[in-house]
Amino acid sequence: MQQRVSNLGPLEAVIMERLWARGRPTPVRAVLDELEHERSLAYTTVMTVMDNLHRKGLLGRERVGRAYHYVPVRSREEHTAALMSEVLADTADRGSALLHFVEQMQPEELDRLRSALDQRSSTKSEGE
Amino acid sequence: MIADVALVVVAVLAATLGPRLLQRSTSIERSPWVGIVLWQSLSVSAVAAVVLTGAALALPAVPLTNDLAALLSACGAALRAQYETPGGAAASATGAVLAVSVLGRVIYCLAAEVALARSQRARLRRSLLILAQTDPCTGALVLEHEAPVAYCVPGHGGRVVMTSAALETLRPDELEAVMAHERAHLVARHHLVLAVSRALARAFPGVPVFRDAHVALTRLVEMHADDVAASCNERLSIATAVVRMAESKAPAAALGAGGPTSVARVRRLLAPADPLRASGVAAALVIAAVLVLAPLGILAAPAVVAATADLCPIDFPTDTV
Repeated sequence: MQQRVSNLGPLEAVIMERLWARGRPTPVRAVLDELEHERSLAYTTVMTVMDNLHRKGLLGRERVGRAYHYVPVRSREEHTAALMSEVLADTADRGSALLHFVEQMQPEELDRLRSALDQRSSTKSEGE
Repeated sequence: MIADVALVVVAVLAATLGPRLLQRSTSIERSPWVGIVLWQSLSVSAVAAVVLTGAALALPAVPLTNDLAALLSACGAALRAQYETPGGAAASATGAVLAVSVLGRVIYCLAAEVALARSQRARLRRSLLILAQTDPCTGALVLEHEAPVAYCVPGHGGRVVMTSAALETLRPDELEAVMAHERAHLVARHHLVLAVSRALARAFPGVPVFRDAHVALTRLVEMHADDVAASCNERLSIATAVVRMAESKAPAAALGAGGPTSVARVRRLLAPADPLRASGVAAALVIAAVLVLAPLGILAAPAVVAATADLCPIDFPTDTV
């Protein structure tokens, strides 16, 4: 079961990738046909993953005839932008979920940083 | 009674004098991990002293005689005499409330902090799974984005995340340095250090030691990660990486976003002081141990006195055989 859950992850990514590339509402069958060139998948597997993505709010869907057609709710860029704004949100509210390499800073602090680095390179070149 | 007073003294010292001394110490940043241990000990000591003060006040009311049987019945009286407080039942009740409420608040805030961080991380991971690709060279998760950003998502299966712009901005040696720095955070589990210090700061916003500890620890874990990265990278590479990443980042919207840490890191990377000598490290660790153990020792001392007194037959009563 654990195996299966971890396998669904990459498949979600692959399916989102395909739907972003197509850019129009797409039925499960069409996604399956595209993916079958690369790996053998059951129709129900793809349908389950797309249904999950719909429940997670990543895909919208509309009924066309007897099947659902799925389309990404947000573009890849919008999704990335939302993720980045959460990552870069004010540290006070963010909690300890992640650790940044550098924090955001004031322009004058940046100047002090640069001058610290410049000092070093000038003393280094004098020494040489 | 003496134990109560001594515990209150420890609590007050740990909350006021301790942080001031640690903040003033310049040598602490020479070996950041020692500083991390000292700040954590100070926080533990402050919490333990307050909780145990409450416990010491409450102790006389504890019905020792029932469960611990006849052997200890004489001891009970002696113990009560040792822990006797003016005020009797009222003092005991106050003590119990103090101990339970402080301990409860700490546990509640820790649990809330851990739960919040977990849910945020789970959400991040779900998005990263769909949006990011693994870079074959560095093993980092790469997000397509124009702002150069690097961070790590700790926890089970912790990952380093970079934006495509960060990969483009950094030279190869700088990239390696950033990866080493972030991996050091993951390996040393710095997120747990910060989760605890943040929870304590949230739990008691009026007590400066916890806020100071969180600020200091945020800075010390960065310096520790720098030191680990410097063990297999040029210090200059780390310093230039910090400046390059800071330069290309948008300026902070809010004031006091903690920029000084980066400035201190760069200065420290460029003009490194020798790490603390073994004697200095040993002294610091002894201080840390004393800080943590002092409250417990003070609480236990009267019991030890009672146990060694003639009244208390802790040893087998050989004279009655």
